[in-house]
Amino acid sequence: MLEYAWLIPLFPLVAFAVILLFGHRFKEQCGYVAIAFLTLSLVVSLLTVVDVLGGRTGGSPGISWINAEGFRFGTMIDQLSALMLFAVSLVGFLIFIYSLGYMHGDEGIQRYFAEISLFIASMLGLVISNNLLFTFICWELVGLCSYLLIGFWYSKPSAASAAKKAFLVTRVGDMAFLLGIFVLYAYFGTLDYNELFERAPEFAKVGSGILGMSVLTLASLLLFGGAVGKSAQFPLHVWLPDAMEGPTTVSALIHAATMVKAGVFLVARTYPLFTPASFLVVAYIGGITALIAALMALVMVDIKRVVAYSTISSLGYMTLALGVGGYAAGLFYLLTHSFFKALLFLAAGSAIHGVHSMDIREMGGLLKKMPITGYTALVGAWALSGLPPLSGFWSKDEILVAVSARDPVLFAMAMVTAFLTATFIFRWFFTIFTGEESERSAHAHESPATMTAPLVVLAIGAAFLGFLKFFGFEEWIVRALPEEPMAIGGDHAMVMQLSILIAALGIATAYIIYNRKAVSSELFVRNLRPLHTFIVNKYYMDHLYIALAERVVAGFSYLMERFDMLVVDGIVNGVGRLFIKVSEVVRRVQTGLVQDYASAVLLGASILLIILKLKEVLA
Amino acid sequence: MIPLVYYLELSVLVFGIGLYGVLTTRNGIKVLMGIELMLNAANINFVAFSRYLADASGQVFATFIITLAAAEAAVGLALFLAIYRARGTVDVGELQSMRW
Repeated sequence: MLEYAWLIPLFPLVAFAVILLFGHRFKEQCGYVAIAFLTLSLVVSLLTVVDVLGGRTGGSPGISWINAEGFRFGTMIDQLSALMLFAVSLVGFLIFIYSLGYMHGDEGIQRYFAEISLFIASMLGLVISNNLLFTFICWELVGLCSYLLIGFWYSKPSAASAAKKAFLVTRVGDMAFLLGIFVLYAYFGTLDYNELFERAPEFAKVGSGILGMSVLTLASLLLFGGAVGKSAQFPLHVWLPDAMEGPTTVSALIHAATMVKAGVFLVARTYPLFTPASFLVVAYIGGITALIAALMALVMVDIKRVVAYSTISSLGYMTLALGVGGYAAGLFYLLTHSFFKALLFLAAGSAIHGVHSMDIREMGGLLKKMPITGYTALVGAWALSGLPPLSGFWSKDEILVAVSARDPVLFAMAMVTAFLTATFIFRWFFTIFTGEESERSAHAHESPATMTAPLVVLAIGAAFLGFLKFFGFEEWIVRALPEEPMAIGGDHAMVMQLSILIAALGIATAYIIYNRKAVSSELFVRNLRPLHTFIVNKYYMDHLYIALAERVVAGFSYLMERFDMLVVDGIVNGVGRLFIKVSEVVRRVQTGLVQDYASAVLLGASILLIILKLKEVLA
Repeated sequence: MIPLVYYLELSVLVFGIGLYGVLTTRNGIKVLMGIELMLNAANINFVAFSRYLADASGQVFATFIITLAAAEAAVGLALFLAIYRARGTVDVGELQSMRW
């Protein structure tokens, strides 16, 4: 099915068109249309994955869309695309089914399924593209869908502004991405991945003339800039928590399982273009992101925001892994994370559905009322915290090993993050599902089967995908790289024991504080008041950006406006006014008297004659 | 044989009279007549040089100019007729509506 991979994004695209045009006839049935088309995609995807597992890779050169060198839109199917196809289409499929229950009765259900179909089409297109330009187009399309779906309940002001924020913040990264594409095209003359990779070594030493970076370093850092925006890395992570204003299914699909992975995917896809210098930046950005996001997740009280910050933190982990050369480790975590994070989001959605509140302090004791949701959430939390034998442990462990071999500072950051992750996710779990029943949770009841079934499937994935490690996942995935990466050393056994210990400590901390309530969390808040305030206010980064926008950008814009009004408009109006003044005088020549004109002709002719005569005489 | 210069002098005289008429008179019909005179002055020139140089093309030009003058007179008179009907005058001094 490798040759037919181009069909994969087309099916949901057709679904998008059908729902958009005829959706008003289907009403509630729109979901089934979307699911039917996505099923076709899923089948082709899985067959393609089977092909790749069988050792076949390749793609089609594709169609020529813009008639210029290097602009052919084709497919490139290798182990990396196969991994993404598997994760995106399968998780997408489960979330579509869950949406049937979750979005039931919503007025905008037609719009919802149209937009989410367009999203999944663009996302699938993104992962199979064989050149940067088409990747960029799909990249923008998923950004658009993210905007539309965050602002799905657009009549809510907070949702509308969250959508705008997400769009604008990721735009900063997209700009860098676009510049990166320009740099690559300027030097390489092509945007085809295979051609880029083949010729990459030529440009490793060529200076770009900017800060002494080589062309490759500059280009790869700019591409990484795009990834920073899309994958919500520090300092552009601020949009992701606000994106939780959208429906929970959207958060699960776009802001946990697929779109935010696009940044990590981009780094993995353009891996051969990265130089040691740019890898260092990637690793540190990832490490910082993982740590600060984990700290914020610890203090949030919104059920979805906790998971959102944990997503940022996990994305930071993946970026960190890629940055230290743990290509396989990063992608392994990407795969398992898609499952357990989607699971956590959907479980959160199910809890919201039951309790009709977003504040975890208003929940509690839900495990008895919503057992399926509760136990699947436990699987998700367990996987995320990185304890064996669930998938999170195996993948996270690989990352820690890779980091420990590289950089002690980053390793320390990763370890602290691991501890915090275990703590905050079990704080989340204990507060919602155990303890005393709150008033609201007393009326809660388990969600319908369309919602619980995907939870169970995702829980199975979250539990067992980690064992792929024992089936040669890592050796398989690195075949997507043109050349074997350097082997990563690191003390496997030591790191493994340490990470288990740290995770267990984290869970124990959460258990003591939030389940047993042996130590009040208030105690920490009171003693660490400044730090707590600092983190609750998200490090004042939103304030900083707003100040930046209001003072610097608005000030600069004001200057530009004055310049435009006074200088540019002044020149334009001045030229006009000059001509008016001159013509005021000159137009008097037009007397309207035919004899004046005749006299002018006579005068002109006489002057010409005199000149001619003079020339004759003087010559 | 009359020398060429006599013809040229006549031609200049007729041209001058025509030009003077065009520039000074205010009656549109008289302006047209002045233009006729100027055209015929040119004709005298052409025919005289044609004879002097023994080249027939001068006479061809003269024939063309006569034809053209006829057409010009027709169009000019038609214009003045129309102006007279519209304005009740053919005084070019009063026809100033194309003024700034």
